Order: sequence, then C-alpha cells, then structure tokens
Amino acid sequence: MIVLTPSRQLPFPVMAECISPDVFQEKTLEEIGELAVWEGNKQKKLADLFKVEEQNREGENEATITICGDVAEVRRIGASMTIGEIMIEGNVGMHLGEEMKGGKITVHGNAESWAGSMMKGGTIEIYGSAGDYLGAPYRGCGEGMRGGQIVVHGDVGSEAGAYMKKGLLKIKGNAGQFAGLRMHGGTILVEGNCEARAGACMTEGKIVVIGFLESVLPTFTIEGVRNKVKIKETDSIEGPFYIFSGDLAERGNGKLYVSKRKNPHLSVFEKLL
Amino acid sequence: MSNGVVFDPLNGIDGEKVDIAVKDGKIVKSVSEHRAKKIDVAGMIVMPGGVDIHSHIAGSEVNTGRLLRPEDHFKDSECKTSVTRSGVGYSIPSTFTTGYRYARMGYTTVMNPSMPPLEAKHTHEELNDIPLIDKATYPLLGDWWFVLEYLSQGNIEELARHVAWMINSTKGYAIKIVNPGGLESWGFGHNVTSLDDQIPHFCITPREIILGLCRVNKLLNLPHSVHLHTNNLGKPGNYKTALETMKYVEELANDEKPAVHITHCQFSAFTGDDWRTLGSGAEEIAKYLNGHSHVTIDMGQVIFTDTTTMTADGPFQFGLYELTGNKWVNHDVETETSAGIVPFRYRKKSFAHATQWSIGLELALLVKDSWKIYMTTDHPNGGPFTAYPKIIAWLISKKARKATLKKINPKARSRSLLPSIDRELSFYELAIMTRAGQAKALGLKHKGHLGVGADADIAVYNVNPHKTDPSKEYKKVRKAFKRAAYTIKGGKVVVKNGEVLKHVEGATMWLDVKISEPFKVTADMKRRFREYWTVEYENYPVTDRYLEISQPIPVKAEV
Amino acid sequence: MPHIEAVTCPVCGCLCDDIRLRIEAGKIVEVKNGCAMCESKFLGYCGEHRLSKPLIRKNGELVEVSLNEAVKKAAEILAEANYPLLYGWSSTSCEAIRIGLELAEEVGGVIDNTSTVCHGPSVLSIQDIGIPSCTLGQVRHRADLVIYWGCDPWSAHPRHIERYTSFSDGRFEKSEWKGYLSKTKALIVKKKIEKALKRVFARETPSLSPHVRREPPPTLFKEGRKMIVVDVRRTRSAETADYFIQVEPNRDYELLEALRLLVRDEELEVEEVAGVPVAYLEEVADLMIRCNFGALFFGLGLTMSRGKMRNIDAALSLIRDLNTRTKFTIMPMRGHFNVSGSDTVFTWQTGYPYAVDFSLCYPRYNPGETSAVDVLLRGETDASLIVASDPVSNFPRKAAEHLVKNPLIVIDPHVNATAQMGDVVIPSALVGVEVEGTAYRMDHVPLPLKKVVEPPEGLISDEEILRKILSEVRKIKAGKMEES
Repeated sequence: MIVLTPSRQLPFPVMAECISPDVFQEKTLEEIGELAVWEGNKQKKLADLFKVEEQNREGENEATITICGDVAEVRRIGASMTIGEIMIEGNVGMHLGEEMKGGKITVHGNAESWAGSMMKGGTIEIYGSAGDYLGAPYRGCGEGMRGGQIVVHGDVGSEAGAYMKKGLLKIKGNAGQFAGLRMHGGTILVEGNCEARAGACMTEGKIVVIGFLESVLPTFTIEGVRNKVKIKETDSIEGPFYIFSGDLAERGNGKLYVSKRKNPHLSVFEKLL
Repeated sequence: MSNGVVFDPLNGIDGEKVDIAVKDGKIVKSVSEHRAKKIDVAGMIVMPGGVDIHSHIAGSEVNTGRLLRPEDHFKDSECKTSVTRSGVGYSIPSTFTTGYRYARMGYTTVMNPSMPPLEAKHTHEELNDIPLIDKATYPLLGDWWFVLEYLSQGNIEELARHVAWMINSTKGYAIKIVNPGGLESWGFGHNVTSLDDQIPHFCITPREIILGLCRVNKLLNLPHSVHLHTNNLGKPGNYKTALETMKYVEELANDEKPAVHITHCQFSAFTGDDWRTLGSGAEEIAKYLNGHSHVTIDMGQVIFTDTTTMTADGPFQFGLYELTGNKWVNHDVETETSAGIVPFRYRKKSFAHATQWSIGLELALLVKDSWKIYMTTDHPNGGPFTAYPKIIAWLISKKARKATLKKINPKARSRSLLPSIDRELSFYELAIMTRAGQAKALGLKHKGHLGVGADADIAVYNVNPHKTDPSKEYKKVRKAFKRAAYTIKGGKVVVKNGEVLKHVEGATMWLDVKISEPFKVTADMKRRFREYWTVEYENYPVTDRYLEISQPIPVKAEV
Repeated sequence: MPHIEAVTCPVCGCLCDDIRLRIEAGKIVEVKNGCAMCESKFLGYCGEHRLSKPLIRKNGELVEVSLNEAVKKAAEILAEANYPLLYGWSSTSCEAIRIGLELAEEVGGVIDNTSTVCHGPSVLSIQDIGIPSCTLGQVRHRADLVIYWGCDPWSAHPRHIERYTSFSDGRFEKSEWKGYLSKTKALIVKKKIEKALKRVFARETPSLSPHVRREPPPTLFKEGRKMIVVDVRRTRSAETADYFIQVEPNRDYELLEALRLLVRDEELEVEEVAGVPVAYLEEVADLMIRCNFGALFFGLGLTMSRGKMRNIDAALSLIRDLNTRTKFTIMPMRGHFNVSGSDTVFTWQTGYPYAVDFSLCYPRYNPGETSAVDVLLRGETDASLIVASDPVSNFPRKAAEHLVKNPLIVIDPHVNATAQMGDVVIPSALVGVEVEGTAYRMDHVPLPLKKVVEPPEGLISDEEILRKILSEVRKIKAGKMEES
C-alpha cells in the first residue's frame, strides 16, 4: 500500500491524474515520487507535494493508495483507473475518478464537484458530501455515467446524475435541483429530501425519492401508486410511492418514484388517477 | 533544395530530379551556390505547397462551431511551445492550431469558402490569427437581396458593378453560392426543391440566380469560377439536380476557363428515393465531366469519424438536426444568407455513411482528368482536414480501399463501385488533385507550382517514389504525407519532420476588382442600405486595417 | 471636422452605429440619435472620475509613477504568479482582447470575461442544446411575434425595440409604433377619466392588483407584429407589450417546459403553471405556432434566476421545437458593448468562449472550476489583472476579498472601486471615443469603434498597454531562462 501525505498546504489547483493504482503499479517509491503533477502553472514532482511511503499490512490489496490529509485542491485523482483502491482520509478535489472504469475509491470527507464524472465502472463511496454534477459529463458532452456505482452518505449539489445512462447513484442525504437531468437510463436513489426539477428532460431510467420532493414538473404525468420499488436486482424499498412518468417535453418515459408518506402536497395528483 | 524527386504538374515535371532555388520568398532560376543555405532532400518527394480550394477554417459559423463543442476540444489540446501558440482540435481547431496542422501536412494555401458579407470583418480577424498559410475567402452572394432584385429586373451589368463593390468591400476572392433561393426561403422556414421553384417575394428561380451570377463572374473576369453548393444538397436523388445545374451553364462554356465549380460534389451525387434506397450517382457525374470542360468539382470526401457539419445551407442543416437529434445552431444573416451547424458522426456500419464514403472516392477515380477534381473533405463537413493523408492512401492504393471496404456496412459494400475500379493515382496526379489543379482552378498564378516567379511554398515528403510501391506500401506514403519532412512557406523553413519551427504570419489574398467607372454610392444605394441592413453604410466595408498582411490581386472587369 | 457620422456607441450590446456627433475644439458637444446612456457616455466621458496617471501602491498609498515603471511592476507580478487571474475584457476592443489572451497564455493564468457573471449560463446551455438564432435585421424584416423574457429593453437596451424589433420597419413587417402611440393615448385618457371620477365621487375604482392574471387580449390575434413580455414584474417594456405574462419568481423553468409540451399540441394535467392558467398558455402556444417568424429575446431575469443555465436550456429547446412548426429564433440580450466580441475572440484563439485556464500550457475550460468567481471563492489565485471592469463592486464579497488580498493590477480609463484597491493602476484611453477598435453586437455582427477625439495626453489604448506588459513579461522570462 502506498501512503501519500501532503507535505504542505496546497493553495493552488493541483492536477494529479497520476494518483491512480494503474499508474503506481509496479513502480518503486522513487519512481512514484518522480511522477509529474501540475501545481498552479508550475510543473512539479509528486514528491514535491507529498510524502510518499509504503506500508504493508496483512491481507491488504497491494494496489491500494491511501491519502492522509486534506487534498481539496487536488483534482482528477483516480482518473480513468481500472483496478485497485484509493482511500482518502480527508476532503478531495474535483473530478475524482473521472472516467473511471474499475476499482474502488473511498473518501472519508467531502468531494468537490464532478466526482465520478463520466464513470464507466467501479465504485466510489463518499462518507461526507459531494458537490455539483456528481457523475455528470464534461461541458457540451451528452454522455454521462455509463456504469458503476456512487454512494454518497451526505448531501449532493445540483445536477447529480445528469445524462446518466447506466449505473447507480445512492444519495443518503439530500439532493439539489435537477437530479437526473436528461438521464436516459440507470437509477438514482435519494434517501433524503430532493429539490425541484428532479428528472427534468429525462427519457429513461429511474429516480426514487424517499424524502420530501419540492415539486414535480408539469411535464410529468402520474401513473399510479405502488408499494415497492426495486433498486437493484436484489434490493427493493418499501413505499408506498407515487409513480410519475416523463419528461413529456422530451417524449420521455423515465420513472419518478416519490414517497407518498413524506409528500402530502402531491396528493392532489391522486384525483387524476 | 537539391536532389529531390519533383512533381510539378503545372510545369510538366513528373518525378524528375530537379534542384530548386529560392530567394526573397520566390522561386528563382539559380542562387549563388556558396552563399545559399542548402537542403539536401535526396530520395524525397518535392511538391509545391498544398492548396485547399474549400475548407471552413474561419468566420462566424466556424467559430460558433468551436463554441458549440467543448467536448470536441478537450481531449485534443496543443501546448504552447517556445515558438508556437497553444490551441485545441479536433474537428474545428482553434486558429493557430489550424495553421500549424495544415503546415505540418505541407499545405500552404487555404481558401475559406463561406463568409457572410455582413460578418466579413470577423472572418478576416480570424484569418489574421491563422499562421503559416496564405488564405482567401469567398463571400456568400447567392441569396443577397441585391442579386435577387437585379436579376429579376434582368439588369446584369448593374448587378456586376454591385458584386464588384461587394467583393472589394468584403475583401473576398470568389462568388460563392449556396443552395440558391433556398436560403432566402429559409428566412421564413421554407426551402426550394428544384431549380425552377419560385423564390417567395422575389419572382426569380434558383436557375436564374446560378446563370446570372456565372455571367457576372465572366463580366468581372474573376480568376475563379462561381463556387457553387448545389440545391438539394444531401438529399437522395440529388445527382439529377447537380447534372441539371452543370448542363444549364453549358452555354457559358469557354475553352480557357470553367464556368462553375461544384463544390463537395459527393454530397450532391446521391441516387435513390430515400435513405434506404440511397445509391451512388458518381458514374453519371463522372461521365458528364469526362465529356465536358466547363465544370470543375471537389470531392467532399467523408471520413469515418466524429465531426462538425457546418454550411450556409440553413434548411439542410435543420434537416440534419431532425435526422440526428444532435445539438443544432442556426444563424440567419439579414439580407444575405444563413448558416447552420450540427455535430455528426460518420460510422462505418451505417449504410448511408458508408455509401457516402464510397461516392467520394468513386468520383475521384472515375473522373479521368485529375485537373477537374480536387481533394477536399469540405472540412469539417466530411471530416477534419487532418484526414487528408488517409484519402491519399485510398486514392493511390486499391489495397487501402479494400482494407476499409472490408470494415464497412455490408449492404453499402455490395453496392459500392470501388471493387470494380482498378485505377490507382500516381504521385503526379496526386500533385494535381492536391495543389496544381486547385491553384489553376483558383487562377492563383503564384501558387501550386515551382516555376520561376512562383511563391516559394514547397512541401517535401519523406518517401522515395522510386523505391516505394504506393499501391502496396500505402501506409508508408500516408505517414509521410501526415508529417512533411519540410514545409517551406515564402522561402522560410516553417516545418521540419512534422514539427513547427517558426510562427510566421500568412497573407490574405483578395480581389481588387476594377470596374470602368469607380463605384458611386448614390443616395438610392444609401437609402436601400438603411432599409436592408441594420448597420450604416460607412461601417459595412472591411477596411485595410482588418488585414494584417493584405495581398490585393488586381482584376480588370468588363463593366 | 465639426460632424462625425455613423459612430458606433460603446455602451450596450445593441451597438447602435448611427450616432452623429458634433465636435468643437476637440470636444464632443452634441450627440444625435443616441439614447440617454449613449449621450452620457459621449458627453460625460471626460469627467473627474477619469484616471490620468499610472499609480503604484507604495507603503499602502497609491502614488504617481511613470508608465514604464507601472508596466514593469505589473509584468513582475504576473511573471511570478503561480495562478494569476486576468479578468474583465467585455468593455474593451477585440484587438486588446487578442493581446490579453496571449498574455494569459504567456503567464499561465486563468482568463475570464464578464460572461461569467451574465450570460455564461446561456453559453453552457448552447453547448448542450445549440441555438437557432439570426442577426437583428432578420427580426426587423420578418418577425411578426417578438417575445422579451426576463429582460427590460426599455431601460437596459433603450433602442432595441425601435431599431430591431416591434417599432422598426422591415421589408415584410412594418413598425407597430403608431399602434403603440394610439394605445398609449387611450391609456392616458382612461387614467384622466379615472382621476376625474375619483375627484368627483371621491372613491377608488378598484385598480388591478399586481398579481392579477389577464387573459390574452383579442388584439393579440390580429395581423401585424405582436409583442409579448414575460417577467416577474410589470416593467416599462411590459407596458409596451400587447400581452404581459407575469411569471411567479423562480418558476420560469416550469413555464417554459409547459410551453414545450403545448407547442406539440399535447395536454397538461395541471391547471396552472408558475401562476399562469394553462388555458392562457394554450392561447400563447397557439400564437407561437401560427406566427410566420418569431423571435425570443431573453435577459438576466432568465439566466440568473433559479435554475440558471437550465432555464436557458428549456428556452432553447422550446425554440428549437418550434422550428418544426414555423420559423423561430432566440437571442440573449447581451449587456456590455463587447461581451459578444470577447466570447468571440476567446473562442477563435482557444476554442472556448470564457473561463479559460492556461496553467497547464494549453487552454482548458470548465466553468465552475476555471471561472473567475469560483477560483476567487476557493482562494486559488495569487495575483490578478483586471481590464475595463469593476469586480470589487459586482463580485460576491468573499471573492472580492480574495481578489484584493493579493497583488492587483488594474487597467481602466476610470476610477472605480477595483482601481482604488489596486496595487498597480494604469489608466487607458477610452476605446470607441479616443481610440479605435472593433466590437461585436449581441448578434455577432462586428462593427468598428471610432476614434472621435484625441485621448488626454499620455494615455494609450488597452491594447498598447497590454503589449508593453507582454513584452516586459517575456523579457523577465528570458532573463530567468538565462540564469538557469
């Protein structure tokens, strides 16, 4: 296991896509320390910013990287990774696990925006909160999450799961506006409350809100009430839930499940059934 | 430059060992042997710098394409170096990168084919920021209200004077027509579907616009013919429209100069009734071209990649949006023209796309005389210009075509004419299609050849034509044409082994059309100006300060 | 030369170029054709708030220095910075912006223009949806339906309606000015009668409450140009309109999405959206479908209210959808006179319209990450150059605090809050008045900015100042290379 500890404060943005098990694999500590990163507009070595050490504990995956300390300005950690594990003991910067294909990232802290951006596989688990655009794609790009799973124990910002096609987003806290914007597949589960415009312009996929949902877009239509909703093959949640389908503005057939118990303001829709 | 194997078709040099002397940016007879800097290019191909007759590299529509597609750029960036500026690709590169990428392939002259006159300053500002190549740009005039009005009155001479004014005012190089009549109709969301449709409110047909502007072109003695994007472009069955257009201007045939250039002809060479019955009209078009000399065309070759389509043909682009559901930009320009942009991906496995790929190559191989057809992708519509080396490989090698044919949609493969075509272009023919022919069609006297007095724009490719069988070793040729061994621009070595050595600015060429009496701005003209446009007459023309290196080419008109 | 014709007005995104100025003794004494904003710019440009000498902060005080010294100091600050910010650009010429980009690339900084705080979200939505648009003359000639959404052209772009839309005369559509005049007259008469009645009978006729819903008037379906205003409050422009739709604050997104459904002839299940009865919306949708050429203009009321870029996303989608039924265009009402131009120059040089980060030696773009306000809020920058803008007064407080905490260079013709906080302040000549240049109108039509009077002695253009700084930065860098 490689342990990275920031050797000083990092006030400028640091681009460190090299912090990835794929890159560290079969490299010596010296070689890892020599890897190039950018700090602001200066090119540096990883060892200039981090203390690089090796720790071997029994039964642990060799391809594991642990970062001890606050790396909120360090971006693109784990980008495109396919194997192994990254553990971050602290807050982490933007684009965590961008386009990752496999392996696991665990954050014991908060993650900035674009965590799991355009992810294709693997797992990200964030014990704190995540910023905006969780799993969402790059500007102008219509291809969001294609697979894998992100679990956030805290809250998330707006546009979580935008353009998602496959995979699972589990948000244990609250979600911001436009959760599941333009999604065309996959599942988003919001266990807390959810701001307005969930599922805007979605065409396929499933959004489940267990807490309070501020409002349902006028371009969704109520389909019924159901007692249970399946999240994964084996996983299902007890309701009852209102089921809305939409977004009709995009001729969509996405499904929005909203807890009946927590959302008495939606009972007006029952008369349309 | 000594010992190279030179291909210079305009001077009839076909693979001979000729030494080339350069002084003060021009090709000269000889230079003092001991004082000159010598470059030994033994065993390499030497050609005039490449000339591209049709490539969208600058102006409002190109730039809106850049703005529209950050996702096109973000995995294709170029870092700043000690000599070059940074930038991005892919299908719509930023200005500096455009210049560098052309020069890396040995190209030194590029024509930007669509400029809305009202936004001409923008085009020129961007051209100033494209280094290493000389440039020129064609104003879009086919649906300009002045054209429609004078033609419906039958007043060709007055129109010619106004076109001359317009070319001078926009610092343009040729008359560009796009889907004549269709763009004015698009102002209210309509289109024209045949050469004889009436254009709403103007009592005139596309046929009359084409013939009228071809006549104006002759009256003004412009060096290039009318540059035409046909009606019905991109629609199955449109090869008939293309042929009808060519036949209609036959009466203007003249031994010396073609009357019309049908651009990106591949997009106008479809048979069939719909996308399922799509087929190739290349045979018919090639047959016509082989029998007539008043038409030139360029390929508009399709490349299998993700690209950005952009034309002034607003209704066509809207159709493409409806077909794909991709993001769509429309930009209509008052009194003049329109424009549209849609990102597009050409896929090998798509029947229509694979058929289009085949049509482009069929055209290039079935037209017997290489002086009549030029290599383009209608960048970025068929694919980015950086794919030219791929097209070169397909043109010189049947084996290369076969390798791609194997991978395309089976239905398209079974209908393609390519397996029946054995022709493989020689380097001499290639030099015609990529520089000499294009320079000739453009009437650029100093470009596209290596004779004494020509601009010293030279491309050297590291492949030995005597030792290489291009038919078999097409990959080697492709690699050589991707990264020129040397690109010399105006006598300066700007690229060596595919690396940019120097950032020098290129010139902007434009026609200084001289009419018999100087153009008078009458009160009527000013009044019409106020009514037609939302800018003042004084602020419309592109003044000299907008051209960093201005290269006017005087033209004496017959009006 | 007493009169100068066809001068372009360097104030708002309308970029009116028919201004006529009278010059006497090297001073502008009369402005014709301009609006109030234009007049105050041309007549008041030389006021006491003008900067005249370069300043450097020494021991906490701004003191006058030579231009060379100020340029040197500015270059030192930028050349040494690890993550400098170069911000502003929307009120200067394209020529200056070109050099600004080169400078940003040379110092590896983040360069951003004021789009970031105005129509940046609009740009982001265009990158997702595209935009069916046109030049303003197209609207003048053809539009029989004009919609202003979340903007008030009467006050922010005073000549927009008169030059380009409802009150302009086009080839296919005529001005509605006369109709408006008679309507206004009728309204004045009505108000007089009401007043008289009130005096006589001493009682109030019930006036309309601000939130009253009005159904579309029958006149909306007559021939000729129609104008609809959608806003959260009744603005001056709303008074001009044939129909005013009052949307509940922050509910524009819902309203736009509902309209998208209606223009496809589909039914809504709810009875009202954003405070507007669906029955009224159906009539508006019908009007949109039946027009020959519609034009929707939107302002910051839409861009900066809740939902931000996604509001624009919905508006763009609505107009795109409408194009399958008729011809419809949409355009943002750009504020600063050259904010379109700065987006344009940024895009051709870097591929991206604003928020460009050169710190990795190539252009990178990701608003939210590389945008001015965000890098300041996260406290990432260590130096700034501000050109022709006043972020200290318009940025969020925390961002402004970080901005002034680090070395701050200001290039501006005027003394503003940012200049007062600056460490190096370089005064410049006013583009479009004292020096020439180019600017782009809100519809991307480029127009020349004229030099009409001489600049005060010693003042040079933004472009020249930036060139000097750039060349000084290169000297410093070359020196460093030699040392190492």
